[in-house]
Amino acid sequence: MGPVILEARDIWYRYPRGMDAIRGISFHIRRGEKVAFVGPNGAGKSTLLLMFNGMIRPDGGVILFDNKPIQYDRASLRDLRRKVGFVMQNPDRQIIAPTVYQDVAFGPVNLGFSAEEVQAAVGRSLAQVGLSGFERRPPHQLSGGEKKRVALAGVLAMDPDVLVLDEPTTGLDPSGSEDIMELLEELSHQGKTVIISTHDIELAYPWADRAVLLTNGTILQEDVPDVAFGDPDLIKLARLSMPTLLELYMELKKRGFSLPERKPRTVLDMLNVIDRAFRNRPCYTEPGRITVYDVDAPCGLSLADWKAGHAGVAIGAMGTRAKQRAAEENIPLDFTYGVIDKCILKALLGEDSLIVTTGSMVGRVQERVREFGRENRIEIPVNIAGEE
Amino acid sequence: MYEELLEDIAHKSALRETHTGVKIVTGAGAIILCLLSPGFLAPLLVAAVLLMALVFLARVDVSTLGHVYAAPALFAVFSVSAIVLVAGGGETFWQWQPAPWFSLSVSRAGINQGVLVFARFIGGTTGLVFIALTTPMTDLFSVMRRLRVPDEVIDLAMIIYRTIFMVMAHVVQVYGAQVMRLGYSTFRESLHSFARLCGAVFISSWEAGEDLIRAMEARCYAGKFAVLGKDRPADPLSLAAVATFFVLTGAVAVTTADVTLF
Repeated sequence: MGPVILEARDIWYRYPRGMDAIRGISFHIRRGEKVAFVGPNGAGKSTLLLMFNGMIRPDGGVILFDNKPIQYDRASLRDLRRKVGFVMQNPDRQIIAPTVYQDVAFGPVNLGFSAEEVQAAVGRSLAQVGLSGFERRPPHQLSGGEKKRVALAGVLAMDPDVLVLDEPTTGLDPSGSEDIMELLEELSHQGKTVIISTHDIELAYPWADRAVLLTNGTILQEDVPDVAFGDPDLIKLARLSMPTLLELYMELKKRGFSLPERKPRTVLDMLNVIDRAFRNRPCYTEPGRITVYDVDAPCGLSLADWKAGHAGVAIGAMGTRAKQRAAEENIPLDFTYGVIDKCILKALLGEDSLIVTTGSMVGRVQERVREFGRENRIEIPVNIAGEE
Repeated sequence: MYEELLEDIAHKSALRETHTGVKIVTGAGAIILCLLSPGFLAPLLVAAVLLMALVFLARVDVSTLGHVYAAPALFAVFSVSAIVLVAGGGETFWQWQPAPWFSLSVSRAGINQGVLVFARFIGGTTGLVFIALTTPMTDLFSVMRRLRVPDEVIDLAMIIYRTIFMVMAHVVQVYGAQVMRLGYSTFRESLHSFARLCGAVFISSWEAGEDLIRAMEARCYAGKFAVLGKDRPADPLSLAAVATFFVLTGAVAVTTADVTLF
């Protein structure tokens, strides 16, 4: 993990109507981390998040960005807001221009970019969120998920180091929520520090590197998600419910099963837990092969060609550009989220699978499969399409 | 409850990608030509050509066009009837005297005048409808910029445009919530509900305005707003088509200047 990028030291804030919103909070966030602030409504999550880019100034305490206390003069705030992008809960309130292009260009134009730079920044950030071709669409014609992506693109166009998202999945259907979380995962792999607030503990649990449990303006617990969400008393105090997988693990443990130390964060982990619990040895013999197709490095083979040569192989796509590519070639996808784990599950059943993804995520696939293999003493072969 | 907006039709129009300037010149030119034409045939020709362009080139639904024309057509029928009855001069064509103190008469000059006004109305309205159904407001902002409209006015227009749809969505939601709870069941109740609707929308608009300022500040607002996408170049084929249209209708206007119905 990188050096500390954001730090709060004993922050206090009182609403104008006299209620304490934040009561003596201290924490730090490291560069490249994925942090989830989790708590019930009114816990002070949004208020705290708005302090990260200087929209709210704390009454007491100090917030440091890059180890320097935040200054509240116009020029310093401008610089801070360029580096800390904020995505509001309601995208309708964040999208201010009549077309997608104009809205995404708003930040770059105000930062004084040249016309060519603005165009490049808009093109790049729309591609990042998978909305290329939406430039001339008016926001009122977009779906909730698309509006959320436009709001995110508007912030990405300023190329911030830190992305702060207030309730990023509110109002989205389950598939839209998964898409947004996967996009945040992708952005994190590109080096962004991502901070979200949520009360959807099931979404935060597998995603976050670290979770901060907030209630009544104070921090209840701050740790890796399985520890932060693993104390039933604290979870009850925060008026949340424990993630299902974690609860299941705890229940199995209470019944005296011998379980691996690492608590499960995904269905794959859970399967491994159950497998150990009941047979104390993994249930696979001949694992299947996982092939990775990199859309950024053409291997001289179209997806359709690859599919034709490997009939019946399950295909998953990770990342918006990968999904677009599959759509362009009319390739039906078996998995669109949790793709690596689902392909490992396939491999454990002895079946082959293909992961379509972007260049930056190829290493991530290999690393995750290797890590699983190390933990479970099994080797699942991973190869790049075209190099078979 | 769900209304289709002219703006949405314009966004879906098959002529959407045609150069904005070409479409505006066509529509505005058609209106001017209809107003200048001394005969009624040229405006009718203008209307026929533009309607065909709307149906076959822009692929606008015929029933949509019917809806768009219904209200102005009703207005035109009443206005033209009044003109026909009031305008005098020339030979009397028809007369009716139901009572000694009341008579109605229509002269040939009155009919000719009414027909000309009606034709101009149809032609002019079609010019306007042509612009409205092929050119979304978002494309007009860049035309405003080219016409040297001050940036402040364009910025304001853009914010208003964006806000209208948010306010409208809120009005639809609140109105729906009121109707579901029988808010408009009696006249008295309707007045109360409407007042509450206005109040709720006013407050939410105020809050949206404050959020707008926050959103702009969070994105480094430094006084710049009106950035516009690149214009597409005018396609020679459409330029030639528009030129032919004006030459043809202009020629008809000149040659049929003296043609009247009676």
